[in-house]
Amino acid sequence: MQLMAQRRHQRQTECLRSGAVGMRHAQASHGRAHGWGARCGWCALALGVVLGVAAPGAAEDSVGAASSVFNESGGPLHMTVVVPTVKASKDLGQAVTLRAGWTADVVSGASVAVVDAPAAKVDAISSATVTDTRHAFNGSVEVHDGLAALAVGYTHAFENDYLSNALNVSARTDLWDRDTTLQISYARAFDEVCDLAGSFDPVMKPRLDSSKGCFSDHKTRTEHDLASHTWQAAWTQALTPILSLQVSGSAQVNHGFQSNPYRAVRIGRTAAQEHHPIDRARYSLGAGLRLWIAALGGSLSTQARAYRDTWDISSLSGELGYDQTLVAQLRLRLRGRYYTQTAAAFYSDDYVLDPRGQYFTGDRELSPLQSVLAGPALLWTAPTDDRGHVLGVLSGFELTLKGDVLKTYFNHFHYDKAPVPNTFALIGTLELHGLF
Amino acid sequence: MQDSASSSELRALLACGLLLLMAALGGGCATVRPEEKEYLAEPAMSWSSGGIAKEHEDHMVDNREGSFGGESSPAGGCGCN
Repeated sequence: MQLMAQRRHQRQTECLRSGAVGMRHAQASHGRAHGWGARCGWCALALGVVLGVAAPGAAEDSVGAASSVFNESGGPLHMTVVVPTVKASKDLGQAVTLRAGWTADVVSGASVAVVDAPAAKVDAISSATVTDTRHAFNGSVEVHDGLAALAVGYTHAFENDYLSNALNVSARTDLWDRDTTLQISYARAFDEVCDLAGSFDPVMKPRLDSSKGCFSDHKTRTEHDLASHTWQAAWTQALTPILSLQVSGSAQVNHGFQSNPYRAVRIGRTAAQEHHPIDRARYSLGAGLRLWIAALGGSLSTQARAYRDTWDISSLSGELGYDQTLVAQLRLRLRGRYYTQTAAAFYSDDYVLDPRGQYFTGDRELSPLQSVLAGPALLWTAPTDDRGHVLGVLSGFELTLKGDVLKTYFNHFHYDKAPVPNTFALIGTLELHGLF
Repeated sequence: MQDSASSSELRALLACGLLLLMAALGGGCATVRPEEKEYLAEPAMSWSSGGIAKEHEDHMVDNREGSFGGESSPAGGCGCN
């Protein structure tokens, strides 16, 4: 993505040299996209994402690979998530881009199975070993010209106890000499969650103890549906030659099974599988500014977000970042973020003493919490040779090394009387991105 | 009590919508000429500069919070797509 931005920068410089010629060319190509481009787009979608079928004149193809490690630990609880991702894009002519990607979550660790089980401290008895791998494959086709783009994509994700199929469409357009960019998107997901088979009163329902037998004809397993609709819109505006604004909003409606089937909550003498409402509507609004500081040759960015949902969670977050070019090919980015949220209406730290109606949860992320995230990122762009190549093959290459620390404060959540021990997490990412 | 809370939320939502509409319409009046976009086209000013690393971070952090969305969108903004 950095490389793409770099390329845009180069193109912008060329555009500055050629004045309005570039704009006229873009407007001329706009007309061509609707005919051949749109038809080719649907053909490409039907074919899936076969990247080897380049049309003559392919413009700018890319391959990106990244791997992140998330590690959270404390007391007997720990969680490690390794996330590898590979992405590729290929231009078919001037009007169509195919994209394909794969990502996985390789999860291992120990979490608490029965929240509020009587114990002086968080112990291994109430903890559950978690080992799972989620794979997600996605593909999309985008039809575009110089000023607008329309994309359609599909994602299929699966793991032992969860299946997801999602369709998304998005549209983007530049307006008013490209001072303004508007983007809208819609996604529809059809998910299935494994659970215990049988008819239970919620307060008597045991938790799922393993994913064995899920998505098979096993008589002790069943699947619940979870459907979601997500709408997003963003408006980006160049306000002055050194200041850019972005406002974005999103809304999501979920309907279906939204509990964690493995988690149980002590609600009396026994523990029952947590029981969440089946409907949830979520809304958020964010705004950010980016300011170029010419004297330093860097950019200052700030962002704020407000969120509200029908489970009565409200949240606010604020972020501040600074991006500085150190030497010609090396940039340093520093960033800090603060987040705070209120509790879900049905959240209680102790359902025996303080029940909250028919629903109950053991999810600490539904309690009031605050978190702080901060870290640096280094971005290196490989210099090109006289012919504009890197390593003789690529037309561009970039490496990103990023690290963050995440500290979360769960002041109102306890495992019986014990505070949450695993509140500190490290996130590290290495990303490679090449252009052809 | 509930009606009062709902109507105050509705008013807040309408106010936000009106503010956004005014800002969007006002945006059309702001003009940055093509030859003035050198700094806006810097990679550091791009709204899509997070790459896969940012997607990973969002994915991990979203799973540690009770909310979602409202983050920046990779929608252009440098005026040079």
